[in-house]
Amino acid sequence: MRKRILALLLCMASVIAMAGCSSGGENRGDGSGEGSQGTEAAGETLKILSGSENQELEEIINACSEETGVEIEMDYKGSVDIMRELESGAWDYDAVWPASSIWISMGDTEHIVKHAQSVSMTPVVFGIRQSLAEELGFTGRDVYVSDLLSAIEEGKMRFCMTSATQSNSGASAYIGFLYALLGRQEGMTSEDLQQETLQTQVRELLSGVERSSGSSDWLKDLFLEGDYDAMVNYECLVIDANEQLEEEGKEPLQVIYPSDGLTIADSPLGYLDHGESGKEDAFLAVQEYLLSDEAQSAVEATGRRIRANGVSDENKDVFNSDWGIDTERILSPIQMPDADVLREALDLYQTAFKKPSLNVYCLDFSGSMYGEGEQQLKEAMQQILLQEFAARNLLQASEGEVNVVIPFNEEVMQIFYAADDSDAALEELYNEITGYEAGGGTNIYVAAREALEIACSYDLDQYTPAIILMTDGRSLEGMREFEQAYENAGEDVPVFSITFGDADPNQLEDLAGLTGGRVFDGTDNLTEAFRSVKGYN
Amino acid sequence: MKKKIAGLVLLVLVMLLVGGGILLQRRSQEEARTREEQEASRITVTGYTGGEKIGFLEDEEVQDLLQKNYSLTVDYSRAGSLDMMTADMEGKDYLFPSSNIALEYYEELHGQPVQSEIVLNTPIVLYTRRIVADALQSQGIVSESGGVAYVDMIKLTELISSGTAWADIGLPELYGSVSVDTTDPVKSNSGNMFAALLANVLSEGGTVTEENVEEVLPKLQAIFGRLGYMETSSSDLFSQFLRMGVGAKPIIAGYESQLMEYAVQNPEEYEAEKEDLVMLYPVPTVWSSHVLIALDENGQVLLDALLDEEIQTLAWEKHGFRTGSGSQGREPAMDGVAQTITSVSPVPAYSVMRKIMEGLQ
Repeated sequence: MRKRILALLLCMASVIAMAGCSSGGENRGDGSGEGSQGTEAAGETLKILSGSENQELEEIINACSEETGVEIEMDYKGSVDIMRELESGAWDYDAVWPASSIWISMGDTEHIVKHAQSVSMTPVVFGIRQSLAEELGFTGRDVYVSDLLSAIEEGKMRFCMTSATQSNSGASAYIGFLYALLGRQEGMTSEDLQQETLQTQVRELLSGVERSSGSSDWLKDLFLEGDYDAMVNYECLVIDANEQLEEEGKEPLQVIYPSDGLTIADSPLGYLDHGESGKEDAFLAVQEYLLSDEAQSAVEATGRRIRANGVSDENKDVFNSDWGIDTERILSPIQMPDADVLREALDLYQTAFKKPSLNVYCLDFSGSMYGEGEQQLKEAMQQILLQEFAARNLLQASEGEVNVVIPFNEEVMQIFYAADDSDAALEELYNEITGYEAGGGTNIYVAAREALEIACSYDLDQYTPAIILMTDGRSLEGMREFEQAYENAGEDVPVFSITFGDADPNQLEDLAGLTGGRVFDGTDNLTEAFRSVKGYN
Repeated sequence: MKKKIAGLVLLVLVMLLVGGGILLQRRSQEEARTREEQEASRITVTGYTGGEKIGFLEDEEVQDLLQKNYSLTVDYSRAGSLDMMTADMEGKDYLFPSSNIALEYYEELHGQPVQSEIVLNTPIVLYTRRIVADALQSQGIVSESGGVAYVDMIKLTELISSGTAWADIGLPELYGSVSVDTTDPVKSNSGNMFAALLANVLSEGGTVTEENVEEVLPKLQAIFGRLGYMETSSSDLFSQFLRMGVGAKPIIAGYESQLMEYAVQNPEEYEAEKEDLVMLYPVPTVWSSHVLIALDENGQVLLDALLDEEIQTLAWEKHGFRTGSGSQGREPAMDGVAQTITSVSPVPAYSVMRKIMEGLQ
């Protein structure tokens, strides 16, 4: 009996001790949390603004949530966009996780980023269909950007790459191209960018870009859905693509490390200090977990490198040397230019160097758009067509760009062509639109078919085409006819949709699926949706 | 009978639980009260610090001593030593840059601070990897003495200025030409100090002066112009050096304290890598003097606290900062660390440094 009571008392003591602990944890509302540790990270929510390549770490992030008790919300954007968000304070987020440190250093003008540490590394590489890489003689030797350039010039290879003004992999590759074309290894200047020969050569190189996208992960998806020669992307995403390609019995990509144009993404995760100490503890708990041996090994298993030299034995197989992956090679990247030159280079990419866009806007002016929808639609077009607005979001029209607007309801109401790429012509186009009023039924397919026909009347080698459909409606019929027309045309013209109100995403998803496009929700943030679309052309 | 006992046990359990609960509540109330009292006398100071001192400021032993003996909690925002002088100082109690030049810059912009004093010292060193150190040694640029590696700054500067490719000194694995990565000399101190050092080397007669700075500047601009994008924080640069390998960062300029702190904080990693990591003492080098600038009374309390002997000892033993009282007469705890720093070149005058910074902007 005595023993029992003793045991009982012991048990009680431990109950009290435990209760004491948790009450200490709950007490932190009074702001005295500084310095106390342990369980308090649990229950916090951490909003992380992250590069899209981290989508593949979802399982690890879920495990991290479970382990730390911190709820993690990931919001994905291109790294250049993350820099822009940082510049304006990034108030909606608790942490940033871009692809490369450079975007934190450039964006963190307010000094709010703390505890930034690299989670993994991956080089930006070319992934080229293996048989093509062999044919071009790119295997078993050092490959230089000039080799890639001649293959593109001779029409032997075309490639996909993300937008340099939105995503780190595109920006890094583009800077690598510039250096290689300058025949220099460092110290790019503003004067260099104005050289005529350089400008001509960059345009030529970028004319080999078949498709573009605003983020690296989506570029990989696009690549897997389409039939393309090559892509510029992270080594880890090429590994991921290859795993899927081999699963489907398709030819994998050969990884090429351009000797004179290599960059490394170091994936820094940093805390945004908006003065909430509870968030900081939660962040540190999350970061500690992600840098733990266990999590790092899991990160490495996704094809990311966790150390500079080689790969651990357990994950050797992931870095398949049959694909040209070389973990012994010393990765010696180029020097990024200084911040001002980099910004100028990115501007030039958008306005002068990239392949001109061919935009066919299909604007829904059916009855249901009357009022607010119509208003939103016109505002959206103002943001993109009036260049003073467009410049604020790096959405300026590029040189040689083609813009067509098709207002529609159940039929095509009219077709407007911008006379040229000038600011005045785009303003004129905008003025045409403002005169329209909503009314009538909806048929998105009729408008999309018309747009397709228009796009195909151009030499599409010279443009990055996109049909941009803005609608709130659903259509009764017409998908089959569109499908037929699309097959007959035999051109790679994606249909992107921006939805308003209660648009039927299923119909729009079908269109996107068929054409390699994508659907964006424009209800919350139309500018954001636009930036997303424009990343793709 | 058994049931009765069970009932009794349950009763006792309930009573104990209730009693314990009350006790607990009372205790936590008391705790809250004493905490409030402590709270009233406790000071939280905020300010800007260079990234290389974050490990020191976040050290729990340092924090405990500050709490216990000075009722002080230190919060910080990270900023480059020079950058912080023009940052928003609203509500800040202190600035903790890494050089006297930064202090002079402060005085020029804002006048005399409430108080300022050098708290920590560390020389500028170069960090590299074994293959690079070996290649430089075979060029006669690096030499070893007593287990400590030294780099001849005149010869290294010549190598950099002449645009020699890594391949030319037997390192074809490395892309580009021989260079030393630094932080932005206009924004951060280690880069700034390295620029001062290079300027001294380029001005053949020793420390660069008003008279010959214009002569030196073009050569300095040529060297920095090639570096392109530069990090703004010494700690970021150092962790990139450790993380990204010899290809990405063949040589960087940093503080001696950085490797010593890393070795103490990450003994396993250091042990695994130490054969490959090489710390090169430039001959000559320059001192980085970490000055605490107090902006108000609370900042002064922090300044006093940081000069505490116990804290100074921790600064040397755990974070590698040479201090007045903490490091004197003590053996360095690890290989490759020089007992004393003998070949030192004075940092140029502030007026000269300002010309250099303007020239490098």
